[in-house]
Amino acid sequence: MTSPADAEAQISLTALRQEYERRVNAPELTQDVAVRLSLRERIWNITVVRKTTILIFMALCWQIYALNLQNELMLPSFTGTVTALLESMGNGELPRAIGTSLRVLAIAYASGVVVAGLITSLALSSRIGADFLETCTGMFNLLPAIALLPLALLWFGIGYASIIFVIIHSVTWPMTLNIYSGFTGVSKTLRMVGQNYELSAPAFICKLLIPAALPHILTGLKVGWAFSWRTLIASELVFGVSSGSGGIGWFIYEKKNQLEIATVFAALITLIIIGVLVENIVFKLIENKTVRKWGMSI
Amino acid sequence: MNAPFLDVCNLTLQYKTAGHLVTATYDVSFQAHESERLILLGPSGCGKSTILKAIGGYISPARGKIRLRGKEVTKPGADRGMVFQEFDQLLPWKSALENIVFAICETRPVPRSQAKDEAWELLRKVNLTSFANSYPHELSGGMKQRVAIARCLGLRSEIILMDEPFASLDALTRQKMQEELLNLWADTRCTLVFVTHSIDEAIILGSRIVLLSPHPGQVVAELNGVIAHLDEEKNAELAGLRARIARILFKDQCDYTI
Ligand SMILES: Nc1ncnc2c1ncn2[C@@H]1O[C@H](COP(=O)(O)OP(=O)(O)O)[C@@H](O)[C@H]1O
Ligand SMILES: [Mg+2]
Repeated sequence: MTSPADAEAQISLTALRQEYERRVNAPELTQDVAVRLSLRERIWNITVVRKTTILIFMALCWQIYALNLQNELMLPSFTGTVTALLESMGNGELPRAIGTSLRVLAIAYASGVVVAGLITSLALSSRIGADFLETCTGMFNLLPAIALLPLALLWFGIGYASIIFVIIHSVTWPMTLNIYSGFTGVSKTLRMVGQNYELSAPAFICKLLIPAALPHILTGLKVGWAFSWRTLIASELVFGVSSGSGGIGWFIYEKKNQLEIATVFAALITLIIIGVLVENIVFKLIENKTVRKWGMSI
Repeated sequence: MNAPFLDVCNLTLQYKTAGHLVTATYDVSFQAHESERLILLGPSGCGKSTILKAIGGYISPARGKIRLRGKEVTKPGADRGMVFQEFDQLLPWKSALENIVFAICETRPVPRSQAKDEAWELLRKVNLTSFANSYPHELSGGMKQRVAIARCLGLRSEIILMDEPFASLDALTRQKMQEELLNLWADTRCTLVFVTHSIDEAIILGSRIVLLSPHPGQVVAELNGVIAHLDEEKNAELAGLRARIARILFKDQCDYTI
């Protein structure tokens, strides 16, 4: 309840203040809703331009420092590295090494995905399977793949079978963990929607569970890629394959022994380029076309 | 009078948690006739959603039976279209239109092109044609619920179950959606079971209102709705109904906030 005194106070307050209504102009008429930025600002707003500038700056620093150092064995110059890169690309040595490495990687990665898929379906279909998955990922996720290499050599001999075994180990567990948490995390409501439509089991999995879990599945694939790529190079470095046709890791090892340090640098740059291509182009593209477009990215 | 369309009979529903057996509703019975708009009204946590999920077939009763056209409900099915309370019920990887097309194609033997036409028609009914190609994350909460309603209509279910579809909308949008829902009902004359915790919503939408007690939910009254009208006499009637519901629901608690 408001007392008469309160009401009076309210009246005297509002009496001092003018009320008004006004029309606002249509947005087209007010000119400064969207003003075009200057050309310089627009170019500087492009991320690629800024990042390229940083790269050029770093290459310049490298070049100046190396020229001052004058020691090709410790630090070859940027231009020397580029020359070595072009040369080893040209004579087919580096492309061959890349080809070998990627082939091994593809086999191991695909096997890892299959194994992860199998373990996940086992875990989803029974409680003991889920316990198995949790126990195994909990243990083996923490075991660096490279530590298994000596054992792998003992079991499979010197050769790509050992490397593939080690990579499968490095890929499977993190991938399984992500894919499994993707499936178990599918919201109850979406599951009920699928039940409402009386979807058959295969349709329920393919048309509902997999797309709903896609963000996690993609993360799993990405993490798996990162692990397998690092493990591959590391295990190639630790031991080369018996004869000439080794991968990039072996290429680096060999060139260091031959004191062709500029070529070693060239190979390192190649590793970076391949990594960037896969992570920032292949996976980014897939993400942009799917989970990002759907607003599902995690 | 023939057998009731939906017959909920002595329904007791329980949840098993790690250490307890929680009884959500106890001995609930009510019936819905064809083309009725039946409202389940009760305070939060009284088991309204649980009852609706049981009718949908997602939960099986601890005791009692649910029959639709005399046939016992045992599992979920497209004959009972459901609109959920949650905003995440649309498939986020499909556009608004595709969500409806998917529902139609998966539940009825209809060619895709015809399903698409039907989906457009449904989007037109809920005034969303200009957002047909938007993905759910680009829609506001109210729009999502409208797509969900359109999608549910696409199933051509015998009965539509709605779980507080407007609860998380702002007051203006909610009022508009209630009007739209009544218009849609006038078009299709579908049987509707609608859950709400808002007395006003129940009065606006319901032709029959079932009142539930607080947890564990039991039926405390069944009332007939009043056809909303703008003239004074009806207003008094509406106010009377509102007061009566409030009195039944909150015999001794004084204020009820929605
Ligand atoms: N999944 C669940 N597990 C255990 N108890 C639940 C679960 N869902 C709901 N309940 C309990 O059942 C009762 C009714 O819940 P619900 O049907 O969601 O209520 P309403 O929809 O009326 O707000 C609540 O007391 C709640 O604590
Ligand atoms: Mg609820």
